[in-house]
Amino acid sequence: MTTLTRKAPPAERVARRTPWRRGQSDVKIAMFFIAPAMIGFVLFYLVPTVRGIYLSFTEYNILGDPEWIGLGNYQAIAKDPLFWNSLAVTGQYVLINIALQTALALGLALLMHQVAKSTLVRGALLLPYLMSNVIAALLWFWMLDYQIGVVNQFIDWVGLPRTAFFGSEAWAIPTQALINTWRHMGYTALLIFAGLQAIPGHVYEVAKLDGASPWQTFRKITIPLLRPVLVLVLVVTVIGSFQVFDTVAVTTQGGPVNATRVIQYYIYQRAFTESDFGYGSAIAVILFLILALVAFIQMKFLKGNESDLD
Amino acid sequence: MKKKAIGTLAAAAAAVLALSACGGGGGSAESAKGEINYWLWDANQLPAYQQCADDFHKANPDISVKITQRGWDDYWSTLTNGFVGGTAPDVFTDHLGRYGELAKNKQLLAIDDAVKKDNIDVGGYNEGLADLWVGQDGKRYGLPKDWDTIGLFYNKAMAASAGVNEDQMKNLTWNPQDGGSYEKVIAHLTVDKNGKRGDEPGFDKNNVDVYGLGLNGGGDSSGQTEWSYLTNTTGWSHTDKNPWGTHYNFDDPKFQASMQWFAGLADKGYMPKLETTVGASMADTFAAGKSAINANGSWMIGQYTGYKGIDLGIAPTPVGPEGKRASMFNGLADSIWAGTKKKDASIKWVEYLASAGCQDVVAAKAVVFPALKTSSDKAAEAFKAKGVDVTAFTEHVKNKTTFLYPITDNTAKVKGILKPAMDAVVSGKAPASSLTQANDQVNALFK
Amino acid sequence: MTTTTSRVPLAKPASRRRPFNPRRAGAWALLVLAIAVSVLPFLWVLRTALSTNSALASQSASLLPADFTFGAFLRVFGLQSPAQAVAEGGSGAAIDFWLYLRNSVIFSSITTAGAVFFSAMAAYAFARLRWKGRNAVFSLFLGTMLVPPIFTALPNFLLIKNLDLLNTMLGMVLPYLFMTPFAIFFLRQFFLNMSREVEEAAMLDGAKHLRIFFQIVLPNAAAPIATLALLTFIGQWNEYFWPLLVGSQDDVRVLQVGLGVFKSQSPQGAPDWSGLMAATLVSALPVLILFAVFGKKIVNSIGFSGIK
Repeated sequence: MTTLTRKAPPAERVARRTPWRRGQSDVKIAMFFIAPAMIGFVLFYLVPTVRGIYLSFTEYNILGDPEWIGLGNYQAIAKDPLFWNSLAVTGQYVLINIALQTALALGLALLMHQVAKSTLVRGALLLPYLMSNVIAALLWFWMLDYQIGVVNQFIDWVGLPRTAFFGSEAWAIPTQALINTWRHMGYTALLIFAGLQAIPGHVYEVAKLDGASPWQTFRKITIPLLRPVLVLVLVVTVIGSFQVFDTVAVTTQGGPVNATRVIQYYIYQRAFTESDFGYGSAIAVILFLILALVAFIQMKFLKGNESDLD
Repeated sequence: MKKKAIGTLAAAAAAVLALSACGGGGGSAESAKGEINYWLWDANQLPAYQQCADDFHKANPDISVKITQRGWDDYWSTLTNGFVGGTAPDVFTDHLGRYGELAKNKQLLAIDDAVKKDNIDVGGYNEGLADLWVGQDGKRYGLPKDWDTIGLFYNKAMAASAGVNEDQMKNLTWNPQDGGSYEKVIAHLTVDKNGKRGDEPGFDKNNVDVYGLGLNGGGDSSGQTEWSYLTNTTGWSHTDKNPWGTHYNFDDPKFQASMQWFAGLADKGYMPKLETTVGASMADTFAAGKSAINANGSWMIGQYTGYKGIDLGIAPTPVGPEGKRASMFNGLADSIWAGTKKKDASIKWVEYLASAGCQDVVAAKAVVFPALKTSSDKAAEAFKAKGVDVTAFTEHVKNKTTFLYPITDNTAKVKGILKPAMDAVVSGKAPASSLTQANDQVNALFK
Repeated sequence: MTTTTSRVPLAKPASRRRPFNPRRAGAWALLVLAIAVSVLPFLWVLRTALSTNSALASQSASLLPADFTFGAFLRVFGLQSPAQAVAEGGSGAAIDFWLYLRNSVIFSSITTAGAVFFSAMAAYAFARLRWKGRNAVFSLFLGTMLVPPIFTALPNFLLIKNLDLLNTMLGMVLPYLFMTPFAIFFLRQFFLNMSREVEEAAMLDGAKHLRIFFQIVLPNAAAPIATLALLTFIGQWNEYFWPLLVGSQDDVRVLQVGLGVFKSQSPQGAPDWSGLMAATLVSALPVLILFAVFGKKIVNSIGFSGIK
């Protein structure tokens, strides 16, 4: 049983760094590989996005014709208190959701990897994800109801004061975050778990031979090797959190007062309910820019483009 | 419980179809026969309308009607998609809150000519309903389908054990200063966890078990079921004129006094706090025995009567300071899409829907009150046969104590401004005078 | 030496020699808690699915079904007549359950297969191939994840309509068939992380990228690909709005859309709670079965661990 060490003879190491012959570009073959995805991208994502950006400079109510107004929408947005409110509310939601979800998912993934690899456990944790967003929201809307929801009845029974989970301004966003975490916890854990499994076993053997403690191994080997997957999880969850909509639309619709009027919901409200599609598009463009910035920072910061396996 | 869809519509692509304003082409023979598409959202009424479609087909063998039922949540988003994409149904159930916008954008077919030519008697409909469907341009965009009013659903068992008899419930009075006998009854029906009633000493308003009056929400700009049946008894009305007013009156002191009284109910512990009502619907909490009286619309009759374990009573809304009752009067209609290729067939179908032939069928099912006077009488009888006394709802129509649902431009924006403002007042976070500011914002939309 | 448990998996099976360990017990306790939180609401779903709608509110405190009945499940499978359904307080719309199920299976399978495969190809190009502008193009693709769905639904609808593919399975499948941004991102991260030794060896042997992709990379990435496929399948299974827009005729309607009749039908009406809960359980079932069958593949770590 040979253990593969991380050190390699110089020749191989050089080969690893430049697996292709110097100067050669894989452009042709790359184009072939990317072609199908490119078709989908251009047709179903790029064109609509460009159209959306165009519309952000117009006044448009879907049923009529777009009317060019230049920066009008953007100027109005700058003065719109509901817009700034939506940024704050969404930011609050993202922070709570990410902290909760990533921490829980990471912990769960480690637990699964460590303690129970069985399909049963994984299936049980994945159950909430099988429920659609809307139905999960409806279910919790009923269960967390102040007067007749089962959770509050339990809280009452235990002797604590009932909580207006969806109705109180303080609890509204945390409750939304909790529901989404409940639904995505298992899914995110599964992603991280897949990453954990992809870490070659020999790495741990080597660490043990080198005398590393469990905590050291975790910090210095597991986390770094998990980096690309963790980056994936973080970027995806952050972006997904910024786009929260379904659960709000089905439960609080932006209320109480404006406590859950998140960006995506405000866009929907302006664009469709109030038929101000140009304005909604402008907000969407801003959301897009924010997300791009966030994703960029995350990728740069966390060096998600590299692999520590090298 | 109001819900919205996951609707995510977006901008039209470059190759968007031109929206033709009038489907007059295609020759009258083509447009008078074939299959027409009809959309509605209420699944409870589907059997009735299916029968109408079958009857219509027998009478007009050339035309067949295909009914599609889409739930409310998806109805408008898929409909709008259809408008833009050219796949909208020929005829569809329309709603007062939306038709103004659609008419403005030339999505609806005006049917004045047809109405005149076919001698449709708009006087046969309950008063006011037909006017609702004439747009700002003076053209008619729908024929009335049904109507609804507001009444008080109450728990008979709770009333009995509180010593409030049916007669008392049917003759409640109200005024914004002390709440009249309405508030007295509500207080008396409120019971805290120690069994003390709202009007007894030692009543703990922070530990209420059963509320006298249930709460639906803040009511945004119409307050249809929440408070309009009270505010409009003081001589106040939502707008300067209706339909198509251009000035809202939420700054009126009479209105604000009424809202202050309403918010006060929650302070006193007779009504749940607004934040606790987000979740299960008011009707469901009523069925769970958490409230004694619910002000709600006649479309909820089926749901309230269906609850097991509740002995239901229905009473009319209280008499106001001017000696009269008041109830918001709302109604649906069927509209024709401007881009329809089957114009004549669609017109025939709409006329049939608005005629006694179809409305009597709907009446017999006792789900809703059809618009025609004769049909709504039949509906009242059908309800009676089921054991439900609906006079509380019909008497508003008989005594002409109804007022129309407020129709103006910009309804969605108005609602968007008023909802948080009303919520703030009803939850006690802001005084009723804060509505003046919201009112100014709203009226600025019309300048 | 027996090892004390840690958060790091050990190469040798330690179960035989391991004494009771409080840390391990603690880990199990946490896991059980997480499972309970995930699963308990489903018990509530089951309880509601076996109840009668009109009794739900009055028996809201009970943990047992309110007025036990199988009616909701009958409604879901389309075995109750509309009149009966309305009498039980349920939705009166007709449901052709097995047809919708078939459509869902077709829709989800095709989109998953297409998206995963094509995304894998693209991910390989982004992770392993070297070409100018690689990172820039990847950022563009990543950007599609940032596009609020609100932008894309209507133009895509119009495109499908103009291609005359409305109410066809092809039309429904098209936007998802070629890629999903998440799939590309996910697989690229995995490919980046995969050890290169075998690939390099093959390349030194003169193998071209195409062969390497199909014969080395894909098999080695079987575990993450299987995971991605499962998650994509679930996501597609639960898709609602797009299939509603494009596949509204019965013959292409998918299960989620078909079961949408249980949601609230009128503005202030309540949903058909028992029907909705029954529908949730029933529509989750096929996916659960899928997971049970293919889950083992995901369990077995096929992580690359050494040079042969």
